[in-house]
Amino acid sequence: AAEPWPENAALYQQLKEEQILLSDNASSLAVQAFLQMCNLPIRVICRANAEYMSPSGKVPFIHVGNQVVSELGPIVQFVKAKGHSLSDGLDEVQKAEMKAYMELVNNMLLTAELYLQWCDDVTVEEITHPRYGSPYPWPLNRILSYQKQWEVKRKMKAIGWAGKTLEQVLEDVDQCCHALSQRLGTQPYFFNKQPTELDALVFGHLFTILTTQLITDELSEKVKNYSNLTAFCRRIEQQYFEGQEKDSSALAARSAKRSSMR
Amino acid sequence: QSLEPLPMPGPDFGALGEEAELVEVEPESKQEILENKDVVVQHVHFDGLGRTKDDIIMCEIADVFKAKNLIDVMRKSHEAREKLLRLGIFRQVDVLIDTCQGDDALPNGLDVTFEVTELRRLTGSYNTMVGNNEGSMVLGIKFPNLFGRAEKVTFQFSYGTKETSYGLSFFKPQPGNFERNFSVNVYKVTGQFPWSSLRETDRGVSTELNFPIWKTNHTLKWEGVWRELGCLARTASFSVREESGHSLKSSISHAMVIDSRNSSILPKRGALLKINQELAGYTGGDVSFLKEDFEFQLNKQLIFDSVISASLWGGMLVPIGDKPSISYNCMFYLGGPTSVRGFSMYSIGPQSEGDYLGGEAFWAGGVHLYTPLPFRPGRGGFGDLFRTHFFLNAGNLCNLNYGDGPRAHLQRLAECIRWSYGAGIVLRLGNIARLELNYCFPMGVQAGDRICDGVQFGAGIRFL
Repeated sequence: AAEPWPENAALYQQLKEEQILLSDNASSLAVQAFLQMCNLPIRVICRANAEYMSPSGKVPFIHVGNQVVSELGPIVQFVKAKGHSLSDGLDEVQKAEMKAYMELVNNMLLTAELYLQWCDDVTVEEITHPRYGSPYPWPLNRILSYQKQWEVKRKMKAIGWAGKTLEQVLEDVDQCCHALSQRLGTQPYFFNKQPTELDALVFGHLFTILTTQLITDELSEKVKNYSNLTAFCRRIEQQYFEGQEKDSSALAARSAKRSSMR
Repeated sequence: QSLEPLPMPGPDFGALGEEAELVEVEPESKQEILENKDVVVQHVHFDGLGRTKDDIIMCEIADVFKAKNLIDVMRKSHEAREKLLRLGIFRQVDVLIDTCQGDDALPNGLDVTFEVTELRRLTGSYNTMVGNNEGSMVLGIKFPNLFGRAEKVTFQFSYGTKETSYGLSFFKPQPGNFERNFSVNVYKVTGQFPWSSLRETDRGVSTELNFPIWKTNHTLKWEGVWRELGCLARTASFSVREESGHSLKSSISHAMVIDSRNSSILPKRGALLKINQELAGYTGGDVSFLKEDFEFQLNKQLIFDSVISASLWGGMLVPIGDKPSISYNCMFYLGGPTSVRGFSMYSIGPQSEGDYLGGEAFWAGGVHLYTPLPFRPGRGGFGDLFRTHFFLNAGNLCNLNYGDGPRAHLQRLAECIRWSYGAGIVLRLGNIARLELNYCFPMGVQAGDRICDGVQFGAGIRFL
């Protein structure tokens, strides 16, 4: 039996206007999209220390009842335990395929976003450092962003991305988008009629890449090359993020009609 | 609660024992003549000075020249010896008084010779330390008398049951005025607070100026601390989780101490008054508050070698500016074997899901009666380190609504008072710490407090 989803469920991320970075915004949007697709309402709360509040150190995390769960993977599991799932209708082969594509997005797109944010000197100097440390006073803002940069660079070295140039990273992004575009084809969602967590994840990353202003447009251009991907993003945005407004305005129109007819 | 910055002030090599008193010379029949005889101190010699500069020595021994008779010379020489020892730069100081020899010797002239052994340039130390309910192993490296004027550089590394920390400190006294000194510290301290499910790491810099005014001792300090808070367990309450993260505190504080007790652990007589205030936020950082706290203790000796002691603590924390919440590590905490006995460590007051959050205002008081052990076993030796102890403790901790006036604040602090009574045994560990084993009856327990009724053990330096 499905356990009730509390009304005060909240999702925590960094401050939207001044602080949050591309990669975290993408992850947060992916979780928001997933929860919308499951029809589970959630409030978004912005806190400067969201990254440190998270039990795993990564945003976003959700606070549901008295449980705290962070990152899309564990959140999908948590929601499934509460009786809601988007991928129940898939067979084993499709589930394995979905997992593989989600891994692709995490290993390619997310890592490319992190590379661009923390390893490209111009972006680091002009966008990342000012944003990341913005809630903190001097010298803490500098200390924290250098500390984070050092951590990310260490991770890049461990996975072998430290030696890559920006062009190579953009090439990888292109390849990833190509693979996604091929899989999507002309279908509305990756697994035909119903959205799954893969759709949420892909939407989160691609939509954020398309709508975030960076130093150059090279990253978003790579995505724009694939028209079915941009159409996909627009479709999900309209259905799940403007959908609520649409419904309420439609309702108002209907009730206005009724009253005028009386 | 707050983490103590390293290096911790502690008993120094060469510091005086608290029982040191002036040597009284018994006047014998022959010495009656000497007492009345006028003498003049013609020369003061120093044997064994190496890197120590002359000017600081001159200030400490200046009084010796003013002695008028032999008893006076002996007394002033002894005082000078103690002053030299408290500089912390000599391992040993011996005094030799002799009649003057040589061409310019007066018939009543005296020579005073100080034979000193300087400390080595580098000394190491290994101590175990007892803080408030935790133990640690402390490795220290000290450079005493670095530039010849009793400057000291200390590095301390402490590995404890709950925290690991290190600190570097530079200390310089004013020549001739050892109580006036300043020090600069750089430290990193880590601590765990299971009663709040909180883990804290502080990295900071502080500079401190100490000076006496009449009978009081003042300390002015500026401190800049980068504070990192984290949850100790996944089960920490959400209120504590919300406080995780980084903050920067830049604060100026002033402390005044008047201490007339004969000892800091189990004093027999005297009083202590400590008033401390801290203002944070006006010199940078993102934490703003004004914090006031005081500590008062009065001791009086009664018949049969027993001592009655009363103490009162209190404090208030006022947040400044538009940032309404102050993180929990700046708050006051109450309860435990070193504060209101009968309650678990820091487990009184506002809490959330079992994590104690501390409060903005508190007061605590205690009345104690210390007596020697019944039937005085081991008298004159080991038994003297123990005392039996009857106590009555009370206190309250709460958050204030700063919109209301002081009358409302006093009312809040006066309602829901927690108190306890009991008896136990106290063991004194040198001049450093005290162990207690008590049987407690906690009363006035409010919903949410955690009590420890029955046997409670406590170890520490500062007790209510």
